[in-house]
Amino acid sequence: MPDRLSTTLSALADPTRRAILARLATGEATVNQLAEPFDISLPAVSRHLKVLQKAGLIAQGREAQWRPCRITPAPLEEVSDWVEAYRELWERRLDRLESYLDKLQEKKKPASRRRRST
Amino acid sequence: MHTMTSTSTTADREIVTTRLIDAPRALVFEAWTDPKHVAHWFGPDGFVTTTHSMEVRPGGIWRFTMRGPDGTDWPNVVTYEQVVAPERLVYLHGDDKEPDMFHNTVTFDDQDGKTALTMRAVFKTAVAKDFVVRERGAVEGGKQTIARLDRYVREMARSGTN
Repeated sequence: MPDRLSTTLSALADPTRRAILARLATGEATVNQLAEPFDISLPAVSRHLKVLQKAGLIAQGREAQWRPCRITPAPLEEVSDWVEAYRELWERRLDRLESYLDKLQEKKKPASRRRRST
Repeated sequence: MHTMTSTSTTADREIVTTRLIDAPRALVFEAWTDPKHVAHWFGPDGFVTTTHSMEVRPGGIWRFTMRGPDGTDWPNVVTYEQVVAPERLVYLHGDDKEPDMFHNTVTFDDQDGKTALTMRAVFKTAVAKDFVVRERGAVEGGKQTIARLDRYVREMARSGTN
């Protein structure tokens, strides 16, 4: 069973769906309005919306005629938290690599790599 | 079990990290591929990285354990796909159960004697997430351990029972 992060990322793994989200980030829109910029059928757009809805990335209004979609950003925050955690691990790891390489180079050529006062 | 449409690109599962390092790339490459160097920087702060075996060649494996500040062991397996010294490393990173949690491409570009390092990581989401969250949790745990030790030592000093 996929976890929520995987579901979110699968939903995001499509340029049309990302474009739909980008459009919704500027405000609510109907299915027709969302379909307009794309060269695909209305049912195809609906299928994309269903994927986004299942992932909890959008919600749709209830009125039968006017069912505007809006973005629900909570799952996106989860994605950015996870990316942030990963980045932080690697930023620190590369910090250590850098200071280790500094030490190595000081040992190798002590004269030319003497530290300036900073 | 359902299958997602596989028109997906990897862009959504890819994280790119870059860093300009003030060292020649032969040395930077060596720091990535020699167990005695790797021990100095690979593990998170407070971790001890012990290499059991390291064969840096296509198909070769680097097997190592990261021991956390609380004594927990985190086994790691890296499987090299491409090794082009001193320019490029492509490898899978994970553990014995999931050796392919991350697919990493590391490039070392020479820039006037410095090294522009670029890491491109593509990950399998669910397992890779657990891996990172666990490791990060361990780092946080380690910080708490050190903070506790620090407090303890200070208290000892204050009470004059050193």
